[in-house]
Amino acid sequence: MFAIIFRFEMRYWLRQPSVYIYAAVFLFATMFLMQGTAGGWDPPSVTDKAAEIANSPIRINWMITFFTQLVLFLIPAIIGLSVYRDYRSRMHTVLYSFPFTKGSYLFAKFLSAFLILLSAVSMLGIGVFLGTLLPGIPAGNLGPFHLSAYLHSYLVYVIPNLLLFGAIVFAAVVLTRNIYSGFIIIILLYFLQGLLAGILTGLENSFLAALFDPFGKSAANYYTRYWTLAEQNTMLLPFQGVIIYNRLLWLIIAAGIFAAAYRYFSFSQQAISFGNKPKAEPAADNTSSGIVKIQLPEVPFQFSLVEQLKTTWRLSNVELQYILKSRMFQSILLGGMLMVFFQQARMGPQNGFEVLPVTWIMLRIPTFLFSGIINILTFLYAGMLVNRAAAAQMNQLVDVNPVPNWSLLLSKFIALLKMQLILITLIMIGGILAQTINGYYHYEIPLYLFELYGMNFIGFAIWACAALFVQTIFTNPYLGFFLLLLGSMGMAGLPELGINHFVFRFNLAREMEYSDLNGYGRYLLPYFLYKFYWAMSGIVLLVGAFIFWIRGLPQSFKERLGIARRRFRGKTAITAVVFLTVFLGLGSGIYYEDSILNKKITTPKQQKALLAESDKKYKRYQHLPQPKIESVYVNMNIFPENRSFQADGKYVVINKSNAVIDTLLISTGFDEQTEFQFDRPATVFVHDSTMKFSIHILENSLQPNDSLQMTFDIRNHPNTIFQRNSNVLRNGTFILSDIFPRFMYRTKRETPPPSDSSAHWQTYQSRDTDDVAFEAIVSTAGDQIAITPGYLQDSWQEDGRQFFHYKMDRKIKFYFGFNSGRFQVMRDTWQNIDLEIYYHQPHHYNLERMMRGLKASLAYNAANFSPYQHRQARIIEFPVSEGTHATTFANSIPFSEYRFITNVDDSNPDAVDIPFYVAVHELAHQWWGNQVIPSNTLGAKMITESLSEYVALRVLEKEYGKSQMRKFLKLCLDSYLKGRGRERNAENPLMLADHQQQYIAYRKGSMVFYALSDYIGEAKLNGVLRRFLAANAFQGPPYTTSAALVDSIRQVVPDSLQYLIKDMFETITLYDNKVTSSSTTELPDGRCEVTIDFTVSKYRSDGKGKRLYSDSEDSLTYRATEGQSPISSLPLSDYIEVGVFGAEKTGDENGDSVLYLRKHHIQQINNTMTIIVDEKPAEVGIDPYNKLIDTISDDNRRRL
Amino acid sequence: MNLSIKNLTKVYDNGVKALDNLTLNIGTGMFGLLGPNGAGKSTLMRTIATLQRPDAGSIHFGDVNVLEDKMSLRKRLGYLPQEFGVYPKISAEDLLDYFAQLKGISSRKDRRQMVESVLSVTNLYDVRKKNVDGYSGGMKQRFGIAQLLLNHPELIIVDEPTAGLDPAERQRFLNILREIGTRNTVIFSTHIVDDVKELCNEMAIINGGRLLKQITPDRAAEEIRGQIWLRTISRPELPSMEMQHNVLSSNYNQDNSVNIRVHAQAQPGPEFQPTEPQLDDVYFLALRGDQ
Repeated sequence: MFAIIFRFEMRYWLRQPSVYIYAAVFLFATMFLMQGTAGGWDPPSVTDKAAEIANSPIRINWMITFFTQLVLFLIPAIIGLSVYRDYRSRMHTVLYSFPFTKGSYLFAKFLSAFLILLSAVSMLGIGVFLGTLLPGIPAGNLGPFHLSAYLHSYLVYVIPNLLLFGAIVFAAVVLTRNIYSGFIIIILLYFLQGLLAGILTGLENSFLAALFDPFGKSAANYYTRYWTLAEQNTMLLPFQGVIIYNRLLWLIIAAGIFAAAYRYFSFSQQAISFGNKPKAEPAADNTSSGIVKIQLPEVPFQFSLVEQLKTTWRLSNVELQYILKSRMFQSILLGGMLMVFFQQARMGPQNGFEVLPVTWIMLRIPTFLFSGIINILTFLYAGMLVNRAAAAQMNQLVDVNPVPNWSLLLSKFIALLKMQLILITLIMIGGILAQTINGYYHYEIPLYLFELYGMNFIGFAIWACAALFVQTIFTNPYLGFFLLLLGSMGMAGLPELGINHFVFRFNLAREMEYSDLNGYGRYLLPYFLYKFYWAMSGIVLLVGAFIFWIRGLPQSFKERLGIARRRFRGKTAITAVVFLTVFLGLGSGIYYEDSILNKKITTPKQQKALLAESDKKYKRYQHLPQPKIESVYVNMNIFPENRSFQADGKYVVINKSNAVIDTLLISTGFDEQTEFQFDRPATVFVHDSTMKFSIHILENSLQPNDSLQMTFDIRNHPNTIFQRNSNVLRNGTFILSDIFPRFMYRTKRETPPPSDSSAHWQTYQSRDTDDVAFEAIVSTAGDQIAITPGYLQDSWQEDGRQFFHYKMDRKIKFYFGFNSGRFQVMRDTWQNIDLEIYYHQPHHYNLERMMRGLKASLAYNAANFSPYQHRQARIIEFPVSEGTHATTFANSIPFSEYRFITNVDDSNPDAVDIPFYVAVHELAHQWWGNQVIPSNTLGAKMITESLSEYVALRVLEKEYGKSQMRKFLKLCLDSYLKGRGRERNAENPLMLADHQQQYIAYRKGSMVFYALSDYIGEAKLNGVLRRFLAANAFQGPPYTTSAALVDSIRQVVPDSLQYLIKDMFETITLYDNKVTSSSTTELPDGRCEVTIDFTVSKYRSDGKGKRLYSDSEDSLTYRATEGQSPISSLPLSDYIEVGVFGAEKTGDENGDSVLYLRKHHIQQINNTMTIIVDEKPAEVGIDPYNKLIDTISDDNRRRL
Repeated sequence: MNLSIKNLTKVYDNGVKALDNLTLNIGTGMFGLLGPNGAGKSTLMRTIATLQRPDAGSIHFGDVNVLEDKMSLRKRLGYLPQEFGVYPKISAEDLLDYFAQLKGISSRKDRRQMVESVLSVTNLYDVRKKNVDGYSGGMKQRFGIAQLLLNHPELIIVDEPTAGLDPAERQRFLNILREIGTRNTVIFSTHIVDDVKELCNEMAIINGGRLLKQITPDRAAEEIRGQIWLRTISRPELPSMEMQHNVLSSNYNQDNSVNIRVHAQAQPGPEFQPTEPQLDDVYFLALRGDQ
């Protein structure tokens, strides 16, 4: 019997056109995605993204599993439909009386549908493979073909996931006899995953998150998260440990669910009902003969437009009732509510810290996931509403009524909109609830209302138009749903194919940025413009749905086309043409303005091409000796009300070289219009208005030590609707010094190594200046405060504008900015140094922490290194739309709004006080970056960033104890390892860190300097730093290098630890340390003897992340048991900490009770150590505090 | 009001000719449309009810050109298809209110009054709060009548409404229909000849999309008076009888003998008895003539 049903089912499916559409979509989508990722669409000149092998196992798996998410929604449409169609066609009333077992029925149904689904899904892999064969892919972007990579992806992830979700959906449809329960299940599983991801955050939960992820993605990620580029390019995906457990767990769950479906399924006519039992059939009434006088009341029938509109509105309520009463909607409402709420309430740690539940964050967090859900429901219900009458076989009754087609269509459209409104209200309710629970009561209701109903709603409504159109054309609601889903995902994927402009990406707009200081700023107007543009297309689509609307019983698509042609006339045709014209006109207008008129360089590829072209012409001039800027005087006028500025000023420049200079290279601000004049005659030799570069020949050349004055006038290009051409904001302006003219040719070039002494004449931040004298008069709107480096000399009102005169009493780095905003000021002092914080009114949450950070940093740096060079330190808030970072000028430190709303949980001893920490770090830059300025060589940021991080860590440790600091170091380790994985050039050793390699300078730097001070002692290290500072502070050229610092350190490190210099600074060195076993025996005297077996392995990594186990010497290998792969290591003579810990968690400030902790001299890979401790031990560890860099840090400790 | 159908033709994509140049005039009163399964009855009725477009031909109801001005017809139309479903989990009252809106009754009060009336007429008032998808077959058909009454229809089309009803329900249903038919044009199709006999003042027999006969039931029987002959034979004789005579129908007796009815202008043989013509004979004769 099984075979008969199975064959029948297969024949049915193979006749369904939709199956072939699904398969074709998968094939082509993955094919082009592969071609795109491999660079097949890039213009030939700029294919240097190379390095990434597009068909490496991990990327193949990524592509296939990415599409499997889409496949999930096919499961109800195929596996669910296989049984559902028996109920829909009432075939089950006959079928279930036939003599076959439920086993053969269920298995045949499931297996046949599963096979069909799998065949469609196998197109993903085939498409990926075929994509690699397509033309245009640069040779270096593809690796060899690995069949095993494809098989692995299918066998470990795709097939088990399809089995799992297939079984769940099948069970749900079999038991409820409703296909939409299948869709509910899939959406709820997404919710579940979102919930798990929300709950199991943080490093300590990564194992559990890996185990419970139903998709298995986190399990794979558990092992691959720190993979370097070389590993990503070549390694096969692992199948071990938690991946096996995860897959087994979910396969067992799948089997259990299928068994349950089998157990509870019966060949009965009625579904198992949950809750409300079907009502008893009304008693047939047999008493009347039917002979009655038919006298119906005379009522008016009204068909005026107004009445029809009213009717449409009422009909939409009928349709809405249908949505609201459906189980699917109710379940998703409940699940979605929970998920939104959880996400908002927890606000998963971002970059390792959490922010306060301010309203814009509440809006930002759920929108991504939840707007996906709203779209999915829109797509589904559009199909259900369009097909509602036909599905209930009531269409013949409905269609003969004197109600126009537009009224029917519009009623369904309005019902969808109402549903969307209900759903987005949830975001607001969830947000307010989450704010309340977190004890944050500053609800911004107007902001909620504006963003949700004023902004997001338009986008949803446009999707509703598209959904109605697609679902009307394809009367198969599952196919329509699938195509819509594909389309919505595809819009986000278009940039992969080189289509970036939003004019071509349906219903998308640039991502919004909101700031409490400045609102939506420049993004608002373009957002509405784009939404208006797409709304025009939405109306055209609605008209399309109208002319294809099914009324009556058309027999074929050909007949429908004929009907559509007849309907397309008169007002309908005019409406369509008018809106289409507006749509196309607006689209071409935007495109023309953006891409042709303004020639806006939007993509990195275009930038690269432009730079390459200009390098051909001008790079040869780059080493011409140029004068250096000696003093800067600026009048900066900021106009917040029309987002513009005008600056004029004067430079004094001096020829500090030994050569006579007659050629001046001038680069002006890229986005501004600049005019300038020299105080002596000069002729223009080259003027490149695109590159904003010009070359001038002086009539009387500049002798060594001669000076020259240059005056300039800078203003921004006028703002347009699409483009704001200045950094001026209504509130919170932050303009950087990069708008000013400079004496150089700007080009991207390799940073030279410290050994290149010619590079020592330039600082890492500016090539054409040493420290400069600085004076500025800044004006702004009357109600704002404007700030720039220097001490305030005077301040006055003039014409309703506020003026500020700043002057610096000593030379500063040519790196400064202008801030302007409606600020509140908090003031304090530390040893006669004025401390000020300029902040946006409601952001008072972390002021005290920042102030404490400033003081602590002043104290530590002054005590250990040298006095602070200014009389004042100011923190100034700038909007999050301008960045989430903080930076340090002379006496001012701009801080992102993000730091002001950082949430520090004082009740959690592990929570790092980030505002405090950042204040310490930034002020430390006054020593490391401003007193000592490194040259423009590799490793410069080791001096500025690593040392500031080191200072901040030490201060944090003093203020809050070791526990916080270790938590922080663990985050550093995680983000360093992840940073390596994302590196696309080459990872450098710490002392050669490139300026962009923040994961090295900050993260690895923190760890290295902290570990170093642990090895040689804080006092000794600080002594080195103090001497280094004294030797290099406030010096002109030549500037110092990281090599000089490393040399100073080398001198104080004992011989036994000299290997640290090589490991930490000169090479990329990692450990793989692990406790393999441990035991304890109680001694007669009550003490305990602990035996620990552990392995230590040390290796170097090359820039691409390939592991090397030998330098030039021999390497060590060790094989634990025969058959196991051996462990290799560099030769060892290392000092590594071994620890034994007691059971109590109250011991010292680490939360550990340390029974034993000492560095041991390790010389081999496998080690056994016996330690006698006084108390009963609970846990042992090798490098238990992860002071060394180890990609698997969890196995360093082991519980006894 | 007169319904006039001219040269109506419809060919489906699979080649089946459902309507073949059909011309028909239907006046006020009950009009029965007789024909075997697949004769084109449903296609004809759906076409009149604006649900399908013919390939050629025209339909006029009074002064309304049905194919060009569907909306005007829909305002006067009541239609009950052969098979229909309803939205699940909605009571009769609510569903009728929904239809009343579709029919153009704007005020809530008017709708309530109208819905109550049609519920009483169809004797569903007591079960108005029950879900229609739980109704028995007869009740559901009466609901079908209730919904088509909502707009005072002048043209009522009911497609095989009595199929599957028990005798009592069928009678009740026909009575209601009859009552409606006194003032309006009611077209109803059936393959049960008795329905027509009891109800209709005019009838048409169609097959293969063509009109075979249009006549009143009484006249139809009159036309063949004296031409119908009855004979009882044994089962094995039947094939030869069918060869020799125009056998219209045959049915078994208890003793396994068979009665046959034969059409002939004169008595075909001495064993044949003259008998009263029935509407069935007209129907079968028309179909036989068509073959």
